[in-house]
Amino acid sequence: MNLPPHITLPAKKRFAEPERAPVYAMVGNPNCGKTTLFNALTGLRQKVGNYPGVTVEKKIGETYSQHGRPMKIIDLPGAYSLASRSPDEAVLRDVLLGRREDTPQPDRIICVIDSSNLERNLYLVHQILDLGRPVIVVLNMMDMATNVGLRIDHKKLEEQLGVVVIPCEAVRGKGLVELKLAMSRANLPLAKHRWDVPAPIAPAVAELSASLCDIDERPPLIARAEALLLLTDLDSVRVAGSKPISDRTVEVLATWRKRWEGNGTDWSATLIRSRYEAINEICAKVLHRTREQGLSFSDRVDAVLVHSVWGWLFFGLIMAALFFSIFTLAEYPMNWIDAHMATLGNWVKSAMAAGDLRDLLTDGVIGGVGGIVVFLPQILILFFFVGLLESTGYMARAAFIMDRPMSKVGLHGKSFIPLLGSYACAIPGIMATRTIENAKDRLVTILVAPLMSCSARLPVYLLMIATLVPGDTMPTTTKVGIMLLMYLIGTVGVFAFAWLFKRTLFKSAPPLMIMELPPYQPPHLKEILRQMIERGWLFLKNAGTIILGISIVLWFLTTYPKHPDPAAIPDAQIAHSFAGQAGHIIEPVIKPLGFDWRIGIGLITSFAAREVFVSSMGVIFGVESADEDTTPIRDALRAAKWPGGAVLFTPLVCFTLMVYYVFAMQCMSTIAVVKRETNSWRWPLFQVAYMTGTAWLVCFIIYQTGRALGY
Amino acid sequence: MPLSRPTLFPLCQLSVGTTGRICVINGDDSFAQRLREMGFGEAALVTKISGSTTSLCQVNGTRIALNHGAAMSILVEALPSSAR
Repeated sequence: MNLPPHITLPAKKRFAEPERAPVYAMVGNPNCGKTTLFNALTGLRQKVGNYPGVTVEKKIGETYSQHGRPMKIIDLPGAYSLASRSPDEAVLRDVLLGRREDTPQPDRIICVIDSSNLERNLYLVHQILDLGRPVIVVLNMMDMATNVGLRIDHKKLEEQLGVVVIPCEAVRGKGLVELKLAMSRANLPLAKHRWDVPAPIAPAVAELSASLCDIDERPPLIARAEALLLLTDLDSVRVAGSKPISDRTVEVLATWRKRWEGNGTDWSATLIRSRYEAINEICAKVLHRTREQGLSFSDRVDAVLVHSVWGWLFFGLIMAALFFSIFTLAEYPMNWIDAHMATLGNWVKSAMAAGDLRDLLTDGVIGGVGGIVVFLPQILILFFFVGLLESTGYMARAAFIMDRPMSKVGLHGKSFIPLLGSYACAIPGIMATRTIENAKDRLVTILVAPLMSCSARLPVYLLMIATLVPGDTMPTTTKVGIMLLMYLIGTVGVFAFAWLFKRTLFKSAPPLMIMELPPYQPPHLKEILRQMIERGWLFLKNAGTIILGISIVLWFLTTYPKHPDPAAIPDAQIAHSFAGQAGHIIEPVIKPLGFDWRIGIGLITSFAAREVFVSSMGVIFGVESADEDTTPIRDALRAAKWPGGAVLFTPLVCFTLMVYYVFAMQCMSTIAVVKRETNSWRWPLFQVAYMTGTAWLVCFIIYQTGRALGY
Repeated sequence: MPLSRPTLFPLCQLSVGTTGRICVINGDDSFAQRLREMGFGEAALVTKISGSTTSLCQVNGTRIALNHGAAMSILVEALPSSAR
């Protein structure tokens, strides 16, 4: 019977089949289409978490074997090599070597390869084969390889490596069935790895692996692979949560390094050369060039898009389109939500008897949460744009263009990707810093990233702009202008503080950057949509939980204790309440900025998340118009007065308040993520201090100067 | 052999559209290791696509961006255009 190699007859029961479902690890170079393949295999059966102690995303998915048995797949971060230079690469290495206590060592490994660049992708495969685990090699993007004139004989590659090789086009779902069938096999062949450790370093590898075997209790093959890595692991990126190596092994390693340093052997180059020689030998047999490889489509496009003039022009156009659509396109759905919230509030008002419960619903719940939900369309647009830039491959080009300005403050272009992402939200931004190799540069990027105006600041900016000028008298361009000014102030702040930190706290040599620019691709709209829904849902969930909670608590704190006189005006009631008392306590601190105690309450509550400021203003100032229809918050704010009768929200105060939100660190989630990333409270607390301190100082200068000038 | 050695110059000085061969990699060890691992090692052919301070090069069908410092630490020899 002639069956294709990936379909096997039931295995002879030589070994008892493990009861536990096999755990697969999925590895590959960055941009090899690993995530697309992972999504195609697991669909929505994914759990996204974190490796404790590092903000590297831990994705575990499930798929079913041919026989309906569930199989776990761990999607590991993309990397070029097991010799790690950044935290995400360190996680890859540690999971594969079984060094992490929080993740089981994978039983089998799926290596995803970008077929259009076989040689380089085989480098990682070559290292992985050392581990002695069953491996499935997936030749992804076969169509692109054909397009650039490459033909890969996968049968021959299978023969050469000794492991299962499956050609695949994950984007089109081609090859998935074959891959699942291979994954279902009870026994996968092990690699016939005909690669010998180069002679000059063989004794060192032997001694190190013996030590790893005996003292660190590693299985022999893993020990050999780990020994090879330790010898070339120059920076030794260590991340939290991985088991340390025994002192004895460290000692052996140090002795060998010293010996090599003495006689000037470049063992790392020797090792890499030897691997590439082995790879080239394989490639010579399996890779055929059907035509001369010239400049590709992406190369030609890049010649324009990263050009020193045209590149900047295009970049500017994209940014302009982003901000323009946030203002114009979002207006329609926003008006729709606004109108429905108002209708809902009025309906509750008319349907319920007057009393505390009705006030809680209209002022606390609808006023608070409704004020936030309005901003959903703009946040979705922002995430759509960031997703589009990432999906098409333009994000890396933006980093390329920004490399020069970034180098002026001592960072390199790669730091720009987290910063651009922070326009949407600082949390994915901070997560994206994991690809920055230099620890100091990474920390600087994390420290300044929250200064980028994120989507949570949008509600505050928009409310203040709306309050700033009455009605629709202000042309959209002026509104956009003020908004852009805020983004500009934040961006300038990022550069200024990065410059300052690189010169004081984190002095280091200018970083060397190597970054691969992925080929341009048509955007994966499905993937972008999935991310938008995910982020939008997170936003709504926040609105439904944290913001709802804060709104209700705030409503309670502004309603109780009741003023002794039941007929007291709402203003007197709030002043008498718990919140009012707290606001009065901090008023002396913020009065020099032009803020009164009611704004003070908003500043305190929005420490949880910036957008809470808007809902808090809704609760606090909404109370004053208790008997009327639910008025838009901006009208209530405009009517607010100081005790003396002076207008509270003068244009100067609105502007100062916006600038306060540009700088102040008002986000619990960011603090939590920075704590997790830096593994200490030191940096998040420093961040709160420097950002909020700057906010106060800048606002003080603006407000006092403005007052002196007569605004 | 040293007599016939062609002149070497940093990668950032390679003009756009021309191809060179990597001869020497300076810079810190970990950087050099990663370059070699990415197939950007000695004897690899690079074609400059764009840039003078930040360089964009094509190596083995992939586009690699290098900042000025990185491009300064890689020495190449120019190849005649017929060599590709």
